[in-house]
Amino acid sequence: MKKEIAITAYKCKQCGKIHYPYHDRCLVCKGREFEKMKPEGDAHLLTYTAIFNLPWGFDQRFLIIGVAEFENHVKAMGQIKVDSVDQLKTGMKVRPSWEPIRVQYGENVYGLKFEPIE
Amino acid sequence: MRDVAIIGAGMIPFGRRDEDTLMEMLAYAALKALDDAAQSDTGHVLPPIDAVYVANMGGGMLQRQTAIASSLVDRLSLMPAAAETIENGPASGASAVKNGLLAIASGYYDCVLVVGGEKMREVTGWRATDFVATMTHPQAEYPYGITLPGMAGMFTRLYMEQYGVTREHLLAISLKNQEMGTLNPYAHVEMALDRDGIFDSPHSIVNNPVTADPLHLYDLCPVSDGAAAIVLCSLELAKKLSKPPVLIAGFGQATDTQTLQEREDPTDLKAVTIAAQKAFAMANLTPADIHVAELHDAFTILEIAESEHVGFFPKGEGGKAALAGKTRLGGQIPINVSGGLKARGHPVGATGVAQLVDIVWQLRHELPANRQVQGAKNGLTVNFGGFGNNVLAFVLKRVEQ
Repeated sequence: MKKEIAITAYKCKQCGKIHYPYHDRCLVCKGREFEKMKPEGDAHLLTYTAIFNLPWGFDQRFLIIGVAEFENHVKAMGQIKVDSVDQLKTGMKVRPSWEPIRVQYGENVYGLKFEPIE
Repeated sequence: MRDVAIIGAGMIPFGRRDEDTLMEMLAYAALKALDDAAQSDTGHVLPPIDAVYVANMGGGMLQRQTAIASSLVDRLSLMPAAAETIENGPASGASAVKNGLLAIASGYYDCVLVVGGEKMREVTGWRATDFVATMTHPQAEYPYGITLPGMAGMFTRLYMEQYGVTREHLLAISLKNQEMGTLNPYAHVEMALDRDGIFDSPHSIVNNPVTADPLHLYDLCPVSDGAAAIVLCSLELAKKLSKPPVLIAGFGQATDTQTLQEREDPTDLKAVTIAAQKAFAMANLTPADIHVAELHDAFTILEIAESEHVGFFPKGEGGKAALAGKTRLGGQIPINVSGGLKARGHPVGATGVAQLVDIVWQLRHELPANRQVQGAKNGLTVNFGGFGNNVLAFVLKRVEQ
């Protein structure tokens, strides 16, 4: 079953600025009251990379990671489900999902993944 | 506020130093800086060291050692000097210098020792990469496996698309800095690169594989062990010494959002611009007055981007300037004549201090001709923490006796 994307973004009640991750004060107007919001719809890819020198905790050859902007303007980092960066282009549409991104202490850690939309 | 000068500078060779503990490296560099200051003190006017600031990012994680500054004053018999360890990621070195600067400028202390050091090679590359990645956002970035080279890769892609930076521009930085590294006895990497072997040849991908697309292996600085130190006192006191004092004429520091995605324009390194502008304003100098600069080139793209953000070149021109030789020794503005982080290496806590040591040597005109910027009077350093979310800049000025 498809899991809900467990990311919460925060819209400043004073000026409307959308934040992810959380800040105690708005990056623009310093307001302290936020409306919680969920990333909505598909996203478009802002930038990406393929990392071949992985940090401790990743037992694989490489990782492809990018930052994407959702239809409601939430921006977030995620792993990208492709075999090569040759399959990617900035600006392309990607579909988000909430899937295992790493294993820690024998347990799956869930996070954002993006997959290009044909 | 009192004017503050650097009166002692010392460094140990960077690289893989299996034979030394972190504390030994810090002590060796500190003794070199203290001896340098003492040599200059022919009239015996220098007071004892009032305080010691030690820059270190990973002692707690990599060596399981904390309270490092307290341990160093003991080792150096500097008691009862005050002592603090400063941790500010890869900008720890410049942050420690800032603390020394402010302490003397305020008049509270008269003589301060600043030491930066890191021992990164005793863990595997896997662990060292993870250690450096712990400075990324703990929920929004770190769990995904992002690394600092990965951040730089994403930044480079945007910079290439928006400003036309090419791999050829990045290559110009690698070739220049590694060539300079061969002349620097303190450099971790003393190996000139062969353009054909890492770029032109169809087999170059074997020698220079992609590490964080679009960055390749030789776009990245090495992971290093090393330490560097300086001694600071008031300019008034420094003028009584035999070596030309190097005045800290300007200082600036600025921060930015932790994640790149929350910056209005992720290619805009605002913290670099603001830190440099503050340093130039305090020194009453402009980028055109600078004769030599040490910029934080942990990745080749950063030397290009920083050379633009500090004001040496307009945005989009830094790569072309490097390719045209304008940043080489003898060029319009020599950048990273030491070899930079790219060749000297990047023991994270040491880097910000090492940059100042190299500029002090330049401004005292103490380097061999093949590394010396002739007649250099003013220098700039930029120490870049996180991915540009905490940046410090210093403008140094030679004071004629």
